[in-house]
Amino acid sequence: MERITKHPVLPTNPETKQVPFKFNGERIFGLENEPVSSALFANNIKAFSIHEVEDAPQGIFCANGQCSHCTLIIDGFPLKSCITPLKENMDVRTLVHAPELPKDDSKLSNFQILDLKCDVLVVGGGPSGLTASIELAKLGFDIILVDDKEKLGGKLLLQTHKFFGSIEDCYAGKRGIEIAELLEKEIRTFPNIRIFTNTSVAAVYKDKKAGLFIDFKEYAIVDFAGMIVSAGARERSLIFPGNDLPGVYGAGAFQTLVNRDLVKAANRIFIIGSGNVGLIAAYHALQAGITVVGIADILNEVSGYKVHGDKIQRMGVPVYLKHTILTAEGDGKVQRITIAEVDDRFNPILETAKTFEVDTLLIAVGLASIDEFYNTAKSYGFKVVKAGDADEIAEASSAMFGGRVAGLQLAKELGKNVEIKDEYFEKAEILKSRPGKVHTEPVTHISEKYIPLFHCNQEIPCNPCTSVCPEGAIKLEDALHSIMDIPYYDGDECTRCGQCVAVCPGLAISLAKKLYGEFAEVILPHEFIPNFTVNEFIPVTDINGNILEKGEVMKINYSRKYKTYLIALKVLASNATKIAGIRVQDEEKTKPLPEPVYNYIPENGVVCRCERVTIKEIVSFIKENNIRDANQLKQIRVGMGACGSRTCSILLPRIFAMAGVDWKDVEKPTKRPLSIEIPMGAIVNEKK
Amino acid sequence: MKKYDVLIIGAGSIGVPIAFYLAKKGLKTAVIEKFPSEGRGQNRAAIGGIRATHSDPSKIKMCQVSIDLVKNLKEEYGEDIDWIQGGYLFPVYTNEVEKALKNILIKQKEFKLNIDWVSPEIIKELVPGINPDGLSGGTFSPEDGSASPLKLLGAYYRLGIKAGVDYYFNETVTSIKHTKGNIEKVITDKDEYSAGLVINAAGAYAKDIGTMTGLEIPVNPDCHEAGITEPVKRFFEPMVVDVRADGESANYYFYQNREGQVVFCITPKPNIWGTDTDNTSTFLPLVIRRMLELYPRLRNLRIRRTWRGLYPMTPDGFPIIGYTNEIKNLFLAVGMCGQGFMIGPGLGLIASEIIADKSEKFNFILDQLTLYRNFSGVEVLK
Repeated sequence: MERITKHPVLPTNPETKQVPFKFNGERIFGLENEPVSSALFANNIKAFSIHEVEDAPQGIFCANGQCSHCTLIIDGFPLKSCITPLKENMDVRTLVHAPELPKDDSKLSNFQILDLKCDVLVVGGGPSGLTASIELAKLGFDIILVDDKEKLGGKLLLQTHKFFGSIEDCYAGKRGIEIAELLEKEIRTFPNIRIFTNTSVAAVYKDKKAGLFIDFKEYAIVDFAGMIVSAGARERSLIFPGNDLPGVYGAGAFQTLVNRDLVKAANRIFIIGSGNVGLIAAYHALQAGITVVGIADILNEVSGYKVHGDKIQRMGVPVYLKHTILTAEGDGKVQRITIAEVDDRFNPILETAKTFEVDTLLIAVGLASIDEFYNTAKSYGFKVVKAGDADEIAEASSAMFGGRVAGLQLAKELGKNVEIKDEYFEKAEILKSRPGKVHTEPVTHISEKYIPLFHCNQEIPCNPCTSVCPEGAIKLEDALHSIMDIPYYDGDECTRCGQCVAVCPGLAISLAKKLYGEFAEVILPHEFIPNFTVNEFIPVTDINGNILEKGEVMKINYSRKYKTYLIALKVLASNATKIAGIRVQDEEKTKPLPEPVYNYIPENGVVCRCERVTIKEIVSFIKENNIRDANQLKQIRVGMGACGSRTCSILLPRIFAMAGVDWKDVEKPTKRPLSIEIPMGAIVNEKK
Repeated sequence: MKKYDVLIIGAGSIGVPIAFYLAKKGLKTAVIEKFPSEGRGQNRAAIGGIRATHSDPSKIKMCQVSIDLVKNLKEEYGEDIDWIQGGYLFPVYTNEVEKALKNILIKQKEFKLNIDWVSPEIIKELVPGINPDGLSGGTFSPEDGSASPLKLLGAYYRLGIKAGVDYYFNETVTSIKHTKGNIEKVITDKDEYSAGLVINAAGAYAKDIGTMTGLEIPVNPDCHEAGITEPVKRFFEPMVVDVRADGESANYYFYQNREGQVVFCITPKPNIWGTDTDNTSTFLPLVIRRMLELYPRLRNLRIRRTWRGLYPMTPDGFPIIGYTNEIKNLFLAVGMCGQGFMIGPGLGLIASEIIADKSEKFNFILDQLTLYRNFSGVEVLK
């Protein structure tokens, strides 16, 4: 069984019952009530359906109930396996082409149309939706909060790492999973918030109503006065040959499998995209005992926070900048991937191709706001405010603060006399900031006293280290007058309490002092279960991951509060200020094959995943028919699938460009409800 | 000023096929369309049914021709437009409907249409799992069928381009200059055109174009909502039309297209007049309850998308086709009352013969569907 049995942060002994079920007739086991898809992954089964087009095997894609790629025949019904809980003796079968409709011919009976009413409908119970709901509930509004997951918290639930930001505004230094618990607890204290989990908004209607698909079983029409759209973001897809092989999926789906369901979803992964999502996915993989063979990014610097990128590289994950993915290949699943350097016009240089043997390729090339409910509501003239990633892609820390501001804004629009201070907007802006300038690290000299060293030299919105120092001696430079400033130590009585080391989300603070002779002690944070003991020699690296020496472990402490180990090491004094981290992954594991092995036919990349339409088909259709209206691509079924072009429409500008057409001259594809498929029986809430 | 033999206003279900057949006969033809591409008015909203089994000679003729053309489009031109000859079924549950349909049946037989009264047993074979309670039979016409509106219009557009039709998209007619019963020029927001003949094929907007020519054309759009499901393996063959009226709706109909998706549509009662096509919350509960009462097996089928489209209605429910008395170089092809998609190809060919060949074969259509009728009749099989 591919399950995570040891994890440095997450509890790993769920008391869930193991139950037998059948997959294509074969008896296997899973955990009761876990998603069927996760149970299959735990059994190393990753191909779920066979597509009508070319009989291509299809794997999981979003793990999020949004797409339909994980559909299986479960007890005779075609169901999305990622939102279907596993039951004992379930009969699960591969879906081959279109499913057969179950022959249930009993007469329609016991049905009703459900109507609900509220002041404010909050779409999405992630960080911004939760804080917006709290603000509105405090002001007395009657709220319906819907979220399409089983638990509130949105992506917080997948975030086992500590948060950036500030402690006072957004729980910096705490882990996402802990913050989700805190917010959920708070939200459940309000009697005027009705919570619907496992519930999707299917449509926003012109008659000022929304359709909800509640518990993925029944449909209700909700009447509202105002609306908060905090629906988060969807992962951008990427087009390359082999992009629809089972084993290619989004970093978010990966985090769901690994961090929520504790499934060891892969043995060896490669990641495309070095934004925070890709970097964190790499980190989560390492924590789950999965080898991260590498990360590639087409840009010439890491796109996410530098502290994240540095941290990953210290742990031994190579980052290939100015590289792109050429292909993912394998027999019915990913077995190897090939990357290559790009030239200045982002075209791959095939001579630089490198092939890696992996079983999973994660796509982490950015997020796109889920703002269609907002746009629709706005176009109908409703009172609506968007928040979090639905508004602008940023860190969850900013989403939490932005949600509060959005709640207040909507309250004002709904006629409440509330004051929204200007500083709120300023703060919201700062928390949303992209990483800024990189500074050179100051030269520090160590002495017999401990001092903290900051391997944090890029401007990012983060300051928990300044809040936890009992001496109050960690300060931010006053260049930008905000939490974007760089931290420094301004004291001389460091107590070695280690709080700053343990709280830092970037694992970018160490403590150092001189020992005897040529030796020094450094104390490093470590978010892995140590696989070494005291007196053992372990490789330590500089900020960028270059191994400096093997340091001798002197002491292993554990901070329960921050769930972080503090490792004291004896090292050469000449390295003490440079040492920033511990290597956890062996270089040998990350090497490419001696010679690249691949077959590169770029136009075979799949654009519309639902209907499996390739670049080649679309580009030639655009050229032959002189297409200037993206809606005409429906003739070749682009956008006709379950997702309603929500995945592929983001890719269309590039495809039109390939056909020599400027996207600004193209009529954009129309998006229509429903946003999620609903069985007819559910529309009338038939109870059998 | 651009000059053409024929200038068609509207690149929809009607204008696009007419343009092709006229160009094929050698006329220099152009089409002006305010939307960015063909079929973006109401063709995009059509669900795809094509039947010849109407109750009047004109629509029967036009749609018989349509079926012939559509059926052969793949063989003749290599255009696969998802044609299925699944037939049309009108199942009957009430005496009232039985009487009405049997009355029409007599007429339909006179026109030699392939349509018959069928027993409940046959209906249960055609639509396995259909509610048998009170099912007394129905009419079935096996030669009718369906195609993809999007693909069919795309095909006619491509064929038109090849035959030399000029399309002007994103271009709105702003005025039409006419003196002494003659249109001198058609003025758009981008250019000016003169033509030997102007065809008003403006669908839901036919009345506005009519006003520019000084004519009052009694076409007013009302709104219908439609939806489509996920694809599943084929489980029933025909277009099913339930003509019973209910509290808030009149008839509704659905079929399974070649992709395996069930497409459905309902007529609201009373009609919703106007050009608003934004989705409302009332549609799904209304249509789904009725569909499930008739065909419970649909309960596990998942709805994928919904939309609204307009029926350009005339007072009597019949189209308006033909030349006008007031303006000699104007031809009307308007007021299709929601059947433009099925009428389009047949009307296209027929209109090309009337216009290019001066054929008199179709005078019965022009007589029946003239603008100058009194519009007091009622189309019983809308």
